[in-house]
Amino acid sequence: MSRLLALICTALLALTACGGSSAQSGPKTLRMTVWTANEAHLKLLTEIATEYKAAHPDVTEIKFDSVPADGYTTTLTTQIAGGNAPDLAWLLEESAPDFVSSGALAPIRGKVEKADELVPSATKLWEKDGELYAYPFSTSPFGLFVNTDLVKELPTTWEQAVAASAGKNLVLPDFKYQNWAVLSTIWRGWGANAWSEDGKSCGFAGQEMKDAMAFVHKAIFTDKAIPGPGTTVDFFAGNAAMAVSQISRAGALKDAKFGWTLLPLPQGPKGDYAVIGQAGVGVLKRSKNADAAADFLGFLTNPTNSAKLAQFFPPARQSLLNADTLAKSNPLLKPEQLQSVVIDGINKGVVKPSHQGQEELNQTIRAALDPLWKPDANVGQVLDGVCAKIKPLLERP
Amino acid sequence: MTFWTYRRRDNLVGYLFVAPALLGSIAFVLVPLALVGWYSLNEWNVLGGTFEFIGAENYERLLADEKLRDSLVATAWFAGGLVVLNLSLALLLAVLLNQKLRGTTLFRTLFFSPVLVSLVAWTLVWQLMLQPEGSVNGLLGFFGVDGPNWLRGESTAMVSVIVVQVVKNVGLNMVLFLAALQGVPAPLYEAAKLDGAGAWTRFLRITIPLISPTILLTSIITIVGSLQVFAQIAVLTQGGPGTSTTVLIYYLYQQAFQFHHFGYGATISVLLFAIVAVLTLVQWRMRRKWVLHES
Amino acid sequence: MSRKVWLYGLLCLLCVPFVFPTWWMVTSSMKPIGEIFSVSLLPSDWTFSTYSQVFELQPFGQQYWNSLYIAVVVTIGTMVVAAMAGYAFARIRFPGQNALFVVVLVGLLIPSEVTIVPLFQLFQQLGLTNTHWPLIIVPIFGAPCVLAIFIMRQFFIALPAELEEAARMDGLGRAGIFYRVALPLSRPALGAVAIFTFLHSWNLYLEPIVYLSTPDMFTLPQALTQFVDIYGGPMWNVQLAAATMTAVPILIVFVLAQRQFIEGLAHTGVKG
Repeated sequence: MSRLLALICTALLALTACGGSSAQSGPKTLRMTVWTANEAHLKLLTEIATEYKAAHPDVTEIKFDSVPADGYTTTLTTQIAGGNAPDLAWLLEESAPDFVSSGALAPIRGKVEKADELVPSATKLWEKDGELYAYPFSTSPFGLFVNTDLVKELPTTWEQAVAASAGKNLVLPDFKYQNWAVLSTIWRGWGANAWSEDGKSCGFAGQEMKDAMAFVHKAIFTDKAIPGPGTTVDFFAGNAAMAVSQISRAGALKDAKFGWTLLPLPQGPKGDYAVIGQAGVGVLKRSKNADAAADFLGFLTNPTNSAKLAQFFPPARQSLLNADTLAKSNPLLKPEQLQSVVIDGINKGVVKPSHQGQEELNQTIRAALDPLWKPDANVGQVLDGVCAKIKPLLERP
Repeated sequence: MTFWTYRRRDNLVGYLFVAPALLGSIAFVLVPLALVGWYSLNEWNVLGGTFEFIGAENYERLLADEKLRDSLVATAWFAGGLVVLNLSLALLLAVLLNQKLRGTTLFRTLFFSPVLVSLVAWTLVWQLMLQPEGSVNGLLGFFGVDGPNWLRGESTAMVSVIVVQVVKNVGLNMVLFLAALQGVPAPLYEAAKLDGAGAWTRFLRITIPLISPTILLTSIITIVGSLQVFAQIAVLTQGGPGTSTTVLIYYLYQQAFQFHHFGYGATISVLLFAIVAVLTLVQWRMRRKWVLHES
Repeated sequence: MSRKVWLYGLLCLLCVPFVFPTWWMVTSSMKPIGEIFSVSLLPSDWTFSTYSQVFELQPFGQQYWNSLYIAVVVTIGTMVVAAMAGYAFARIRFPGQNALFVVVLVGLLIPSEVTIVPLFQLFQQLGLTNTHWPLIIVPIFGAPCVLAIFIMRQFFIALPAELEEAARMDGLGRAGIFYRVALPLSRPALGAVAIFTFLHSWNLYLEPIVYLSTPDMFTLPQALTQFVDIYGGPMWNVQLAAATMTAVPILIVFVLAQRQFIEGLAHTGVKG
C-alpha cells in the first residue's frame, strides 16, 4: 500500500515539477506578476500590451497580476512551487541573485533591442556569464528630499542633515525598522558594506560599519532626528524636515502644500556616493509560452516604450539618460536635480545589498539588528552578533 | 432480499453516511500529509525546479538547528501562556456571570463579541492600538504609567500577542464553561454550605470536578489551537523582535514560504504534527484520571 | 450590597479590553487620519470619506459577497456532511467504525499551513486555482469539518434511544429515522456547528492568499490587508473602515439572535 502511495505521489510530483515545458501553438495568453496596484502604472502597461497584441494576433491576452508588494517574492515563489508560475514577473533587486543563479529565468539578451546601450552598473545584477536574465526596467537612485519650509540651509553632509532635522524628523520611509538594506543609503557614506564583493565575508563587524551605525543610532536616540521604532511620520504630508527616498516618490509631491527640493544623498566621511534600488522584469523559463513572453519583453523594453515607462521608472538606457528627456516625463523635477540625482546616481551608484539566499539572510539580519533599536544598545556588540549569525549563510556555496 | 438483511442495510447506510467525510479526509488531509512527509525526504529547489531525494538529511538538520530550538522555546512560552490565561480567564468570567446579577446577558454579549470580529480586523486594530503613541499607552498615560513600546520589546511582544489572541477567543470557552456551571445541581452547593464549606472549598471540591469534562474538552481545543496561531503573529510581530515570537508554525512558514526551503519546511510540518498528536493523545489518556465520569 | 458593587465593578473593568478595540475600530474609521493615534473617544471631525474610499480602492462589494456566499455554502455543506457522519458514528454499529472515526479525527490535528502546498498543487492540476472551489471543497470535507462531526456525534450519543425505537416500530428505516427523528432534534447542535463553520470560513486568511490572485476574487480578510497607498504604506483609516464593515453586520446579527447562538454553543458542552 505504501509503495503504491509513494508511486502516486512521485507521479504527481513529476507532473508538477517538470510539467508545462512543451510550447503551445495557437492562441496564447501571457501573465505578468507586478507589485504595483497604481492605476496610472497599470494603465500604461495595458496600453503597451494592447499595442503589442495588435501586432501579434496569436497573443490574445496579456494580463498584469497585481500581487501585494509586501511579500511579493514569497507569493511569486509559492506560485512557482505550486506549478502556477506566471510567464513574466517583476523582480526585486534583492531577489535577483537567487532568481538569476537558479536557472529559473530565460536568457533574454537576444530579445532586448539595442542591449549594448544599457548602463553596465544597472545590468550587473541581472547578468550571469555574459548572458542577461532580466531587464532592469527601473533603476531608481535614492535622493534626499528636503522640506524647504522647515529647513533653510540645505545640507551637504550627513552631520549637517541630522543637525538640521533634530526634532523635525529625517525619515527613511522604506526602512520601518525592518528593511535594513535601506540603511545602505547612509552607511555607504562611511564606506561600509554589508558583505564583501564576492559575498563571502561579513562586513557588519567592520569598523566603517560600526562608525556608520553608531552615527545612525545617535541620530535616532540622542539627536532625535530620525523617528524611533513604531513612530510614523509622513514627509509627503509635510510633517518632516527631510526624507531619504527613491526619486519615483516625487510623484507624491504633486499636490504638496509646502516647498521642497531634491538633493543627492549627503556626503559621509568618505565623500560622496550614490545608492540605487532596482527592479527587473524577467521571463520564467518553465512558462508554456516562454518564447512569446520573451518577445513581449523585448517589445516592452524597447527604446520607445522605455521612454514611456520613464515617467514612473527611471530607465537604464544611455540614450534616455539625459536631463532633457527625463525632464519631459518627470515634470516635478528640475533638470539640475535630474542630472545630479538620477543620471549621476545611475552612472556611479551602487545597488542596495543583495545576496543569494536573500530571504533567509534578510530575516536573520533583521532579527539580529533588532537589539540595536533601543536607547542603550551596544552598537559594536550587536553588529558582531550580526556577523556571527550570518557567517554560515554567507559561506554557503 | 435475503442478502440485504436489516444488519447489512444498516451497515450500508452507515458507510454511506460517513463516506463524504471519510473520502474528504483522505483526499484533503491524509494524502497531503503523506505528500508532506515525502517532501521532507527531499531537497526541493523551487526556483531551479529540481527535486532530489536526500533521505533523512532534513531530519539531521532539524536536530542540529539552533533556530529551531529558539522556536520551540518561543512556542512553549506562547502556548503555555495562552492556555493558562485563556482557561483561567474563561473560568473566571463564567463564574462571574453565573452569579445572580441583573445584566449578565449584556456582559455575556460583550465578552463574546470579539469572537465574531474578523481575525485580521481584530489584529490590525490591536496593532494600531499597541503603537508607542497608540491607545493602550494613551490609556495607561491617564494613570500616569509610561507604557513601553509593546511590539518592540522581546517579552512585551510575546505578552501582547498572547493577550490579543486570548481576548479574541476566550468568549468561546467562557460560554462552554458557563453552560457547564449551570449544569451543576444547586442542591450540592446547599448541602456543602450546610456542612460549613467555604466558597473556595465549594469551588475546588464541587465545581471543578463536576465541570471537568468541559475543562478537558476546552483544554484540548485550546492547546491544539494555540499551536496553530499564525495570522496574528504574521500581522503583529512577523516573528520578532529578534526571534522572540517565532513560534513553530511561523518558523515553518518562514522556512517553506519565505526562504523557499520547501523540503525543510515539510520536515518541520512533520515535527509540528507529531507534537500536536502527542499532546492530544496524552490529554485524552489522562481523561480517566482527571475527568469525573465518562459517558 | 457591596458585594454586588464589587462584582459589577470587576465586570466593567474586565470588559474594557473586549469592547474598547471594537469601539475604537468603529470610531477611528470616521476620524481624519491624523487623529487615529490620539485617545479621543469620539472623532473630533467626523469623516465618512473613508467608507467610499474602501469601495473605490477595491471591488469591496464583490469581495464582501465572495466571503459571504462562500461562508454560507461551506456552512450548509458542513452541516450536511457532519450531521450524517456524526449520526452514523454515534448511532450505527458498523464494522470498523472506530478505526474510521480515528482516521477522520486526525484532521483535527493538522494545521492548514502544513497541507497547503500539496493541496495547492492538486487544485492547480485540476485548473481550479483563482477560483473559489478550493475554499469551498476543502473546508466542507477536510479538517474544519472534523470538529463539526465531533460535535454532532456527541449530541447524537446523548439522544435517548427510545425515540429511535419508537420510530423503528413505526416502520421507518435508518435513513428515515435520521431524517425524521434525529435531525430535527439536533437543531441546537446544528446551530453550534453553523456558527463555528461560518466564522471559520469568514476568517480564512492563508488559503485565499495562496489560491486567489485577482482582486475581484479575493475574500474579506485578504482585502483588508490590501488597502495600501501606491507606495506600499498602509492607509490606516481606510483599513479600519473596511474592518468595521466586516465586523459590524455579524455583531448586529449576533445581538439580535444571541440567545440562539449561545444556547447552541452551550449544547456542545460535554456533560458528565
